[in-house]
Amino acid sequence: MEKQEKIKVLYIDDEPHNLVGLKATFRMDYNILTANSADEGRALLEKHPDIKVILCDQRMPGKTGVQFFEEITHIFPHPVRMLLTGYTDIESVVNAINRGHVYRYITKPWTEADIRSAIEEGYKYYVTSTMLALRNEELQKAYDELDKFAYSITHDMRGPIVSSLGAIEIVQNSNDLNEVKEVAGMMEKSLQSMDALIQNMHEYYTIKRGELTIVDIRFDELINDFKEVFSVTAKMGNIDFEINLQQEGVFRSDELTLKIIVTNLLSNAFKYQRSNAVSKFVKLDVKATPESATVIVRDNGIGIEEAYVNDIFSMFFRATSQNTGSGFGLYNVKDALRKLNGHIQVHSKPGEGTEFRVEIPGK
Amino acid sequence: MNLDKMYFIVIDDSKLDCFIAEKVIQNTGRSESVRSFAGASEALEYMKALPPDRKTVILVDIQMPLMNGFEFLDAFKNNIPVEKQSNFIINLLSSSINESDQNRAKAYPFVNQFLNKPLSKGALENMISAIA
Repeated sequence: MEKQEKIKVLYIDDEPHNLVGLKATFRMDYNILTANSADEGRALLEKHPDIKVILCDQRMPGKTGVQFFEEITHIFPHPVRMLLTGYTDIESVVNAINRGHVYRYITKPWTEADIRSAIEEGYKYYVTSTMLALRNEELQKAYDELDKFAYSITHDMRGPIVSSLGAIEIVQNSNDLNEVKEVAGMMEKSLQSMDALIQNMHEYYTIKRGELTIVDIRFDELINDFKEVFSVTAKMGNIDFEINLQQEGVFRSDELTLKIIVTNLLSNAFKYQRSNAVSKFVKLDVKATPESATVIVRDNGIGIEEAYVNDIFSMFFRATSQNTGSGFGLYNVKDALRKLNGHIQVHSKPGEGTEFRVEIPGK
Repeated sequence: MNLDKMYFIVIDDSKLDCFIAEKVIQNTGRSESVRSFAGASEALEYMKALPPDRKTVILVDIQMPLMNGFEFLDAFKNNIPVEKQSNFIINLLSSSINESDQNRAKAYPFVNQFLNKPLSKGALENMISAIA
């Protein structure tokens, strides 16, 4: 086995020569910290959160080893506990297991092989159990999101389907062509919003599970893509789309993640316009150097109520009943930025407009 | 049986769903008027200002931004004077097939019914004849 960092072991014993003896025997193999008493041991645990294995003598003045372990199980649950004792009375063994949750019981006088195998086994146990705890935490998070997803799918995705079914029934009983056309228009919007939700879900998955592929970013090409994607929306909504680009040197990042960020911000800027406003605009400013890229997306749309600004990045949060947002876009933006170590700032005034400012470090 | 016409309020952030509900309500021939609101708080303001002797049937969606259906129910309970509350026959109208939503709705004694989307003429007529 390749030697990595030495395993950090805490050894507590009231007899100094025991401490010295064990430390001397294993100093080449393990990083051994020694303590004269339970209290001293506890202080060391506080100072060294990376202690993996604790060896503790049972018979000590003040506190016994079992009492010490009992006391620390909840405060320091991760280090693996082992009891050393010269007295093999069955009661202390039972106590050690039941109350001190010890992993091993080592009888004195110990042999080098006893201690070595105890530390090695204990360390393996430590690694698997802490890994398990970490994985459990991740799993819990994934489950929580899955719950939200399940709810969203039954509601947000089922919504447009049942609406369309309701609309079809109305259309089937209608002889008014204008009404039929009006309903078709609303069905179209409803289905488009479901399509957008599905695309957001795909983006979500891409951000969560995808690996970063760092390439040279050609912002001029990216911007042409954005122009193409949003030109129809801009024209239809009579919205001026202004783009400024300053790129000096090579900026490196993950193109797909970057695209998700900017596309979502632009899409919001176009979506949340004030329908009755004159001279509507969306402005995209990009400044890129090898160190960082700054992307600013500005609009003079409906803005965001101050009370909701802090919630807009939460999953499925929607800050307006205008239009058909999925409550997913900005969540993905934030998640994508986390992946690129970037930041986002929002300035918004209801009725006046919104500015999103994104900073992404170059790779 | 009371065959007076009724007043209706639909609260739903989906324009299409409001439209469908309006149509279905009108098709029953029992409506004096139908008002739709995209936001629950606007609807609540409107409800506060209604004449004290008017019976109104409410159809409210659950999943809405800003104020959702349950928040609307809480706001209704706290902000509409108790003597006026019985003027409103409140029904939830949702595409949710979530049992937790349906159970949560049961916790509000003043909720008349949990209706499923898409709203059908038959379901609405049953609801109306049960309350008339």
